Amino acid sequence: MADIKQVVLERNLNPYHSFFSSFFAGLAELGMINQGSINIVSKRAAEYLYSYLEAKEILPDLGAVPGDTPTEVAKNLILYINKILNLVGEYDFKDAEDGMAVLMIAGNTCRICPKGVGGAEVKGTLCPIPTLIENLVNRIAQKDLLELVTSGIEKEGSTCKAYFKVLN
Amino acid sequence: MAQTIAAQLDKTLNDFERNVPHVQATAVVSTDGLVIASRLPSDVEEDRIGAMGAAILSISTRSGRELERGEMVRVLIEGTEGYILIRSVGEYAILVALVEKEVRLGLLFYEAKKCIQLLREIL
Repeated sequence: MADIKQVVLERNLNPYHSFFSSFFAGLAELGMINQGSINIVSKRAAEYLYSYLEAKEILPDLGAVPGDTPTEVAKNLILYINKILNLVGEYDFKDAEDGMAVLMIAGNTCRICPKGVGGAEVKGTLCPIPTLIENLVNRIAQKDLLELVTSGIEKEGSTCKAYFKVLN
Repeated sequence: MAQTIAAQLDKTLNDFERNVPHVQATAVVSTDGLVIASRLPSDVEEDRIGAMGAAILSISTRSGRELERGEMVRVLIEGTEGYILIRSVGEYAILVALVEKEVRLGLLFYEAKKCIQLLREIL
């Protein structure tokens, strides 16, 4: 595991990031959660977060979300979600091949990774972001705008990638 | 022409179900809890079977080691309406079977072992 002090300072973590990532890391090390269960609970969390945003009256005005294409609209909704939840530092969301779009996260800037931040020593991935983004974007957009194609996150060097079908 | 991996997995699961009366559904899932292949009824949520099957096997394996029961051979959950059998298929995959109460457990275990050997060769 990377040095905790370095991770905290370089990724600019708040206490909730540390709690969330280490909590899920512990559950994963006990064998209680895996990428499949994280996908399921992230969907539930997206519903709950939508209700939170609604209660706080901070949902974006859909008519005012900029973007000439569905990908651009989704990109701006992801920007809004990341601003609220402070999930990652550097990322991009852009068109990819075959009518898909790709979410690319600089792995060393992710603030909620149960492995990179929480130190989970387990095989495989434990990323809640793709399913959370898919479901929260669709909930906020009030239609199916994104459909997750990958079943979690794919690691390519230090970049974490998730592919989505962008629906009109 | 060689069969795709998906077709080979489906055939192996199908043969297992045919050889053991009362097997209702089967799935091969990754240790990450993601479904690789499945033969499940439409009312069973594939994602949940994958996630729960992998979590149950993982926690059972860990419990077995920590409580000094050795390596996990199988997990058999007995309910009033039937069984859930979970077995490891090598390092990266798991076999999950939903079985009716009337099954002959000896036959189930024997055929599951054969099925796992075949799945290992495919994967």
